[in-house]
Amino acid sequence: MTPDVVLPPAAYATALAGLPGMGPARLTAVLAVEPPEAAWRHVIAGRGWCDPAVVRALGRRAATLVPAWQAAAAGVDPAQVWERVVAAGVGVALAGSPAFPPALVGDVEPPPVVFHQGEPEAIAGPRVAVVGTRRCSTTGAGVAFELGRDLAAAGVTVVSGLASGIDGAAHRGALAADGAPPIGVVATGLDVVYPAGQHELWRAVAEAGVLLSEAPLGTKPERWRFPARNRIIAALADVVVVVESHRRGGSLHTVDEADRRGRDVMAVPGSVRSAASEGTNALLAEGRAPVCSIDDVLVALGLAGRSGTGAASPRDRRATPHGADQPVLEAVGWQPSTLDQLLARTGMSLAALAPALDRLCDAGWVARRGGWYERIAVRAHPVSVR
Amino acid sequence: MLASVRSATLLGVEGRPVRVEVHVSSGLPGFTVVGLPDTTCRESRDRVRAALLSSGLTWPNSRVTVNLAPPGLRKVGAGLDLAIAAGLLAASEQVPLGALAGRAFVGELGLDGSVRSVPGVLPLIDALAEHEVVVPRGSTVEAQLVGRHVVRPVATLAAVAGALTGRSPWPDPPGPADPPAPLPGPDLADVRGQPAARYALEVAAAGGHHLLLVGPPGAGKTMLARRLPGLLPDLAPAEALEATCIHSAAGLPLPPGGLIRRPPFRAPHHGASAVSLVGGGSHTMQPGEVSLAHRGVLFLDELGEFEPTVLDNLRQPLEEGVIRVARAAAKVAFPARLLLVGAMNPCPCGEGTAPGACRCTPRARARYARRLSGPLVDRFDLRVEVGRPDVAELLSGASGESSAGVAGRVAAARQRATARGVATNAQLPAWRLDDVAPLDAEATRLVERKLRAGRLTGRGLGGVRRVARTIADLAGDDGHLAAAHVSAALALRADPAFLEGRAA
Repeated sequence: MTPDVVLPPAAYATALAGLPGMGPARLTAVLAVEPPEAAWRHVIAGRGWCDPAVVRALGRRAATLVPAWQAAAAGVDPAQVWERVVAAGVGVALAGSPAFPPALVGDVEPPPVVFHQGEPEAIAGPRVAVVGTRRCSTTGAGVAFELGRDLAAAGVTVVSGLASGIDGAAHRGALAADGAPPIGVVATGLDVVYPAGQHELWRAVAEAGVLLSEAPLGTKPERWRFPARNRIIAALADVVVVVESHRRGGSLHTVDEADRRGRDVMAVPGSVRSAASEGTNALLAEGRAPVCSIDDVLVALGLAGRSGTGAASPRDRRATPHGADQPVLEAVGWQPSTLDQLLARTGMSLAALAPALDRLCDAGWVARRGGWYERIAVRAHPVSVR
Repeated sequence: MLASVRSATLLGVEGRPVRVEVHVSSGLPGFTVVGLPDTTCRESRDRVRAALLSSGLTWPNSRVTVNLAPPGLRKVGAGLDLAIAAGLLAASEQVPLGALAGRAFVGELGLDGSVRSVPGVLPLIDALAEHEVVVPRGSTVEAQLVGRHVVRPVATLAAVAGALTGRSPWPDPPGPADPPAPLPGPDLADVRGQPAARYALEVAAAGGHHLLLVGPPGAGKTMLARRLPGLLPDLAPAEALEATCIHSAAGLPLPPGGLIRRPPFRAPHHGASAVSLVGGGSHTMQPGEVSLAHRGVLFLDELGEFEPTVLDNLRQPLEEGVIRVARAAAKVAFPARLLLVGAMNPCPCGEGTAPGACRCTPRARARYARRLSGPLVDRFDLRVEVGRPDVAELLSGASGESSAGVAGRVAAARQRATARGVATNAQLPAWRLDDVAPLDAEATRLVERKLRAGRLTGRGLGGVRRVARTIADLAGDDGHLAAAHVSAALALRADPAFLEGRAA
C-alpha cells in the first residue's frame, strides 16, 4: 500500500465488495458500522464484529469468514483496485453518496455500492423492466424486441438483464428505436461479459444508456448473483413485464422482488401449448394484467396516448407473400411447427411446400430453427435466441 | 506315412485354404500341432483322439505331427478337426490315401464321434477349389449356396471313414426343405401421420442417404427406423452371398433358405464398444455390427449416448463402404456398405426440439452437442425432426400408405440410379454431380442464396444435390434439378436445434 496517496472511500468499498462471500447484505451491514476505510483496516486486522446487525449478516459462517477475508485482503491493494476501476472508466457510487442512483435510495434491500458504465443520468423518467426466459421461442423474442423498441420510442426506459433470450431481445429492440436510453443490470463484473457472445450488446447498451452491476470488476458469474441482480431490476422498474417464462425460472424471481416493492407486474399471454409461456400464463391466472400491446404498458405507467408521440414504429416493409404462399403462412401460425405438421395442415407435397417455405423465410415472414418453422412479426430483427 | 488333406480357416469374413499335413512315424508316441494354431485349434488333438476311439477306429500308437500350412496364417476355431481326423486315418492306413484326393473337409468333432457345424461354413467352402467337400450335416444348405462343389454332408466320423474306405456309400443329403415364406417385417402402414419422416424414409431407401431422426422420446423414431428395411429391394444374388458370408463367419443363424435375401437390420445398443461396432478382436478377427449391416440398415438408437470415440470410428467405413482393421496378427478388410439411421433426442431432457420447450441448462446442451462430432453429422444427408404425433391423429388418423406401395417407387427410383452406373445416388462421386445432377437457373439462384447466407457449406451442397437427385428420381423427373427439388432436399436437412449456428 502506498500511504502517501489518499484513496476515496469508494476504493475501499470496491476492495471490500471483492472479498469472497461478501454479498450485498454483509457489505451493507459492515459499512453501517464504520466508513469503508476503517472497515478495510478492520478486515486486515482480522478482528471480529460485535455489532448485532453484522453478526446477523455473517450468521454461522462468521468463524470462517473473518479469517478468509483477512487472508484474501492481505493479497489486495486497494490502490491497485482503484487504479483498475479508473482505467476501465467505471463509475462507483456508494449508498448514501450523491452519485447513488436516486431510484435505488430507500429500497428495501439497496445495493451498498453500484458500479456503472455509461450515463447514470439515464436512470430518470419512467422505467419498465422487460424480462423473461433465456430459453424463449422465436415468437417471444419477437414480442420482447417489439416491446423494447416501442417503449424506448415512447420515451420509456427499458430495464433488463442483458441475458440471452428475452432480455437481450428487449435491449436490442430498445437500441433499435434510438429513443430513451436502455439500462442493463448484470450479475457479473462489468468487464466479465456473460453469457459470452453478448459483447456487442453490452457495448451498445453502455454507449446508448447505462450498464449497472453491484459486483466489482472481475467478478465471475456465480449462481447467487443472478437473483440478487433481479432484485435491482425490480427496484429500478416502475412496471415489470414478463414476456415469456417457464413454470419455474429467474423471471418469476424478479416478479417476487417486484411484489416486495409494490411494483406492478404484467405478463404477455402465450399459447397454452408453449412451455415457455407456462409461467406467464400462470401469472395472468393470478390476476396480473396482460400485455397485448405497448398501450397496455403505457396505461399502467399512466402515460396512455404517448405511443404516438415517440418515433412511430417502422412500417412493415416486407413484401406481401405470394398468393400461393398465403395458406402456407397461415398454416405456420404463431406456434413452432415441424415439417410434419405443416405437411399435414396444408395437405401439400414436400416438393410444393418446401419452396413456399423457402420464399417465406427469405422474405422474412417465417424463421427456421433446426427443423422448426415459426412465423415472425418483425422483419429480420437481429435477435439471437441463444 | 504322410497324408495331406485340404481344409480352410477363417480370416475376418473370408475363408483361406489350409493344407493339413499329418505325419505318422515310429518314435515316442505323441501328438504335435504346428503352424500357428490358436488355442481351440490346438485342443483338436484331444477331440480327434476321443472321436476316433468312440467311432471304433484306431489311434496310432506312434509319433504324430500335424502341420497346418501355410504356416504364417493363424488358424482359428475347431473347423479343422475333421480334416485332421481324415489325415490321421489315411496316414495310419485305416483309409486309402487316394480317397483324400480332390476332397476337402470342414467340421468340428465331438468326443462321441459326431461331426458338428462351425461358424463360417459358407466363406470356408467358397475358398476351396476341390471338387468335393465333406461338411457337417447341419451346414448342408450353407455349403450348397456356393454351388461349385459336390457337397457330402456327414453326421459322424464313422460315416466318413466308411465312405472313404468304400465300405458304405456317402450319406444322402437331407431333402431340400421348402423355405417357409419369410415373415413380413413391420409395415409402414402402421405409422400414423408424420408425412415428413415417412417421406425421408422413402428418400433414404431410394437414394441410400444416411438418415438422422431427431425428436423427443415417444415420437416414433425407432418405429420409423425399423420400417426402413421393408422399403429396400431384395438383395441381388451377389449381394446376398456377401451378406450371408459375413453372417456365417460371425456364427449368426441364417434364414431357413440359407441365403440372406432381405437387407439385414442391425440395432446395436448404445453401450457398444468400438470393436463390437467396427470389428476386430485381439485373436479372431470378428466382423462388427457395421459389417453385419452390410447391404442393409444399421440403426443407432440414442446416438447421443454412444461414446464419441466409438462413433467416430464410423466415419471411414461410411465414406468407403469398407472397414480396414489392422492388428498385430493380421490386417482384414470387412465390407461395410450400409445405410446408417441414427435416432437421438435433441438434448438431455428430450424436449429441446420445439423452440422454448427445453428444460436443459445451456451447458448441458453444449455438452450433449459435443458428443456428436461435426464430421459425423456431415455424413447424414437427411436430418428430420420428428415431433410427437397429435392425439387425434393417433386415434383416428387414417393409416398411411403400406410399405409395398412405397417400395415400388423406391425400386423404380433405384433403377434410374443404376442406369447411371451407381447402385444408389448417395454413391455418386462429386465429379459426376455436374453431369448427373445439374441445377436449373432458379435452383442455382436458390443454392447461391443459401451459400451466401451461410446456411450451406460446400460439402453440404454435394449432399443436397444427391438428395435432390433422388427426390427428382422418385417423382420421375429426369434432366435438370428444379428449385422445388433442391428446396425439398434442404427442408429434409434440418440442423438439430443444438447444432444451430453451424452451417448445414
